[in-house]
Amino acid sequence: MPQESNFPTSPQAIVCNACNGDPRASVNCKQCRGAGVGIPSEYGFLIWNTIVDDFTAAIRKFRIKVNAAIHLMVLAIIIAFVAIFFWNVIRFYSFQDLQTISFWSAGYWFVSLFYLAIVFTAFFIFRISEFTKPAKELPNWLPHKDLGQTQKQTALEVSPYFSEPAMEVIESAYKIAKDTGRVEISPVILFSAVLASRSGALFMARLGMRFENVKDSLAQLIQTENAGSPPITFSREAKRTLVAAFAYANQTHRKYVSPMEIFLQAFLDSEKLQDVLDRLEFPPSYIINVAKWVLLHDKLREDHERFTMLARFKPKTSMNRAMTAMQTPLLDRYSEDLTLLALRGYLSPMIGNQKVMDDLLRGLESGQQSVVLVGETGCGKAAVIEQLARQMVEEEVPELLFDKRLVSVNLAQVVAAGDPGLAAERLLAMLHEVAVSGNIVLALYGIEALVGGGSGPMDLAETFASELDKGYFTVVATTSQQSWTQYLERRSLGKKLVKVVVPPADAEQTVQVLMAKSGTIEYKNQVYLSYAALEKAATLSLRYLHDVAAPQSALNVLRESAVLVRKSRGEGSFVTAEDVAKIVHDKTDIPVEMVTKEESRRLLDLEDRMHGRVIGQDDAVKAVAQAMRRARAELREGKRPIANFLFLGPTGVGKTETAKTLAQEYFGDENAMIRLDMSEYQEQMSVTRMIGFPQDERGGLLTEAVRKKPFTIVLLDEIEKAHPDVLTLFLQVMDDGRLTDGVGRVIDFTNAVIIMTSNAGTSYIQNAIAQGKSAEQIKTVLLERELKGIFRPEFLNRFDNIIVFKPLTRDQVVQIAWLMLGRIAKNLEAKGIRFRAEDPAVEDLADAGFDPAFGARPLRRVIQDRVDTNIADLLLKQEVDRHDTIVLHNDGTLHVEKAANPLA
Amino acid sequence: MMQRSEALIRLVFVDLFGSIIWFPIWWYTKGLKKFIKWCIEGLEYRSKQYAFKIWFKNFFVPMYGQYDLVGRLISVGMRFFVILGRGIALVAEACVYFLFAMAWVALPPIALLLALQNIFSGLFFLQLPF
Repeated sequence: MPQESNFPTSPQAIVCNACNGDPRASVNCKQCRGAGVGIPSEYGFLIWNTIVDDFTAAIRKFRIKVNAAIHLMVLAIIIAFVAIFFWNVIRFYSFQDLQTISFWSAGYWFVSLFYLAIVFTAFFIFRISEFTKPAKELPNWLPHKDLGQTQKQTALEVSPYFSEPAMEVIESAYKIAKDTGRVEISPVILFSAVLASRSGALFMARLGMRFENVKDSLAQLIQTENAGSPPITFSREAKRTLVAAFAYANQTHRKYVSPMEIFLQAFLDSEKLQDVLDRLEFPPSYIINVAKWVLLHDKLREDHERFTMLARFKPKTSMNRAMTAMQTPLLDRYSEDLTLLALRGYLSPMIGNQKVMDDLLRGLESGQQSVVLVGETGCGKAAVIEQLARQMVEEEVPELLFDKRLVSVNLAQVVAAGDPGLAAERLLAMLHEVAVSGNIVLALYGIEALVGGGSGPMDLAETFASELDKGYFTVVATTSQQSWTQYLERRSLGKKLVKVVVPPADAEQTVQVLMAKSGTIEYKNQVYLSYAALEKAATLSLRYLHDVAAPQSALNVLRESAVLVRKSRGEGSFVTAEDVAKIVHDKTDIPVEMVTKEESRRLLDLEDRMHGRVIGQDDAVKAVAQAMRRARAELREGKRPIANFLFLGPTGVGKTETAKTLAQEYFGDENAMIRLDMSEYQEQMSVTRMIGFPQDERGGLLTEAVRKKPFTIVLLDEIEKAHPDVLTLFLQVMDDGRLTDGVGRVIDFTNAVIIMTSNAGTSYIQNAIAQGKSAEQIKTVLLERELKGIFRPEFLNRFDNIIVFKPLTRDQVVQIAWLMLGRIAKNLEAKGIRFRAEDPAVEDLADAGFDPAFGARPLRRVIQDRVDTNIADLLLKQEVDRHDTIVLHNDGTLHVEKAANPLA
Repeated sequence: MMQRSEALIRLVFVDLFGSIIWFPIWWYTKGLKKFIKWCIEGLEYRSKQYAFKIWFKNFFVPMYGQYDLVGRLISVGMRFFVILGRGIALVAEACVYFLFAMAWVALPPIALLLALQNIFSGLFFLQLPF
């Protein structure tokens, strides 16, 4: 996520230019009234000049209590006077007496009390409206009319605008300074005071921060500041923080300055604080985003109040306010009134995507009257339509949509008749109702269903397009990019709709949507979401989940994580980033959790473990292991596959074995890879086998395999045999990490390791090795000469590493023979039989199986002939019992050593 | 610098005694303005609720999709009476708000004068039950 853009711009505070902020000179300074520092603004020079100490804190609390007491007293007087009046009237007078002037002017004592009650009531109204406000309202809270005034020269004291909790926080900052023996209240102390307050608790919960964990660091930080005895004053930085908090709150249209603004400004004003929290794994962007989260909820609450207020005018039935509409029984059967749903509060507001909404409204007003929203599943097309419904409820829409209702037609139901004629008839009858009623705007989710994109041969597109042409109704439709290209773009229906593209959300927008939706998820599951969980859900789903676009994908992950946490740890628990990572891991098989100690040990030992199976070929093993470590530590770009390797070398030297070993060691199974033998892809048609035939939903062999299992090894054997078009296809995969299949789905290859093997240049490699040339020299010649005629230079350039596998030496073949015999021993162990081989016998086998031209391949055949076959004979003849040992002797024969019988 | 004594003075002279002096001034300036604003907002809400603008705009558009001649005639008549009825209701409400405003202006001083008159004419004390 771009961190810098998240920092709110705080207004620049300056030292008073009249007194230069000099403490002695500033006492009588008219501009800053002694504050020394402030922010010039349209409301005057903003200053903080209020003393906070035990006395003023006590007075402030006392004042609140005194005012409450006065109000109660006045209210009691009013009630008492009115009660006395009525009690006397009921006891001694009749209703008729009350209607005479003499009753009211004769001067009865209880009537006088009634008069006084009226005066006290007026006084009470005055007191309530002027003395119960928690603070002064910020100038920007409601749009004010005297803007455009020239800058005032007077100072404006900001403390009266601080809310009750904000003042409490400042008072507790004073207490912290006093308790820790500091002479000044600094931004760090203000920050600590907010953290320790009730608003701070919410912050820490969202951040996943525990007060105990930061307490010591904050205390140490406070200890670094000036010590001394009272009086305790505000440091210049603290004054700047408080004034900036005022300016920021005003700028963001808040009603009062709340602890949150102090918190944010104190944080931004202290680099030391940012550094300390960063070290505790709370980067500045986290802290600022959590603050934004809290702000967003405040804003959503305000928006909801506004929506409820405006929604009062919207009719609660299908009748419009002009009462021109009529009943639409058929339409009602196949549709849902979105404006009614919005009115009842079922549709949530859209977050971001304001540009799409503007484009949509402009499209509707353009004269074409109908718009199609094009975007991938999950990118928020429905949210745009729901927002439109909400705006129609608020009546904040162009004239065309005013006093109308948005009705979503269920197209699947409409075409469900099976008979195209019947479906068309239904559609026309519904459109007739829409025309006569005149107050309906249609919302069609997945408009491709009209073309038959959703259900077989049904095609109502032409019927619908010709009705649309008449211009008597308005449509807002949605479709995916793929359906748009495939079914709509070239049809007359497509041409009649204004296309508005809904782009998938980026990480920042996704986090914002998650923040907005967090309340519902938390309420439903009774768990709490941390910011780290939100951020993780956004980044992981953007990187690894491609079936559904963001923000829906991230939202799904977060919802599942919340359920997981509720079930595993119970209600009231926190959803952490690790919980989110676990869900993504379960969905994709990609290890995205934090690297555990066990895993990091395994990763660091990867070379050793791979050498357990691959003999020699140090360069290859090292390169592969390093690539895996880079991938797991997330140090790669993320836009290309984990690694693109080309293994070159003669047959039988371990190229495929290296890939299998990696699959075994890192992916858990040697078959956990997609292996394609390129000798089967020599025709031009092979490309379609790989990526699938156009419009064939089954997809291609390669693309489907990677789509289902994105974290995998793609092994392409004998690449030199593939058709050149196949290689061209891989140019894109290796560079962009993606491939579009036959139906237009983009398949993500960024979590795949691509390994290609080739025998090309074998004879050169063998000769060069024999001449004792170094691996580097061999590689250079291969690239510059030997491979030039076989592969295109841009293809070879795409590889991260081209690894030359050297021919095996005799010693290595002996080691391989040991490995192969080890596998035989393992198989026999399952039958309870032991196996042992003597050194000369193994060397004999290696000599017999060693062929510089074929590597270790003949060895397998030799071992098969001389060892496997003979063991099979022994087993069939039943000459071996459990616990016996088969020994491969020096002469190459097999003997059975009988185990001692414990009963004998 | 704002002195501590200032806070104390503010408490005693503004919140306690000051408010008694400020009250009559507030009542006819800021308070009256607030009250009139409240009345106007109430009327605005009501007129929005009655949707005069929409009804005038659709005066000749038939109600309930009845596009035949009879439907149109009935509709125009209906719309005329509904607009008239709503107009009368709005005027009545405005009158009520006007009465409230009059009461706001006149009631407190009249009540105070009557009370004072009773108290100072001596009758008040003579009649007290104790």
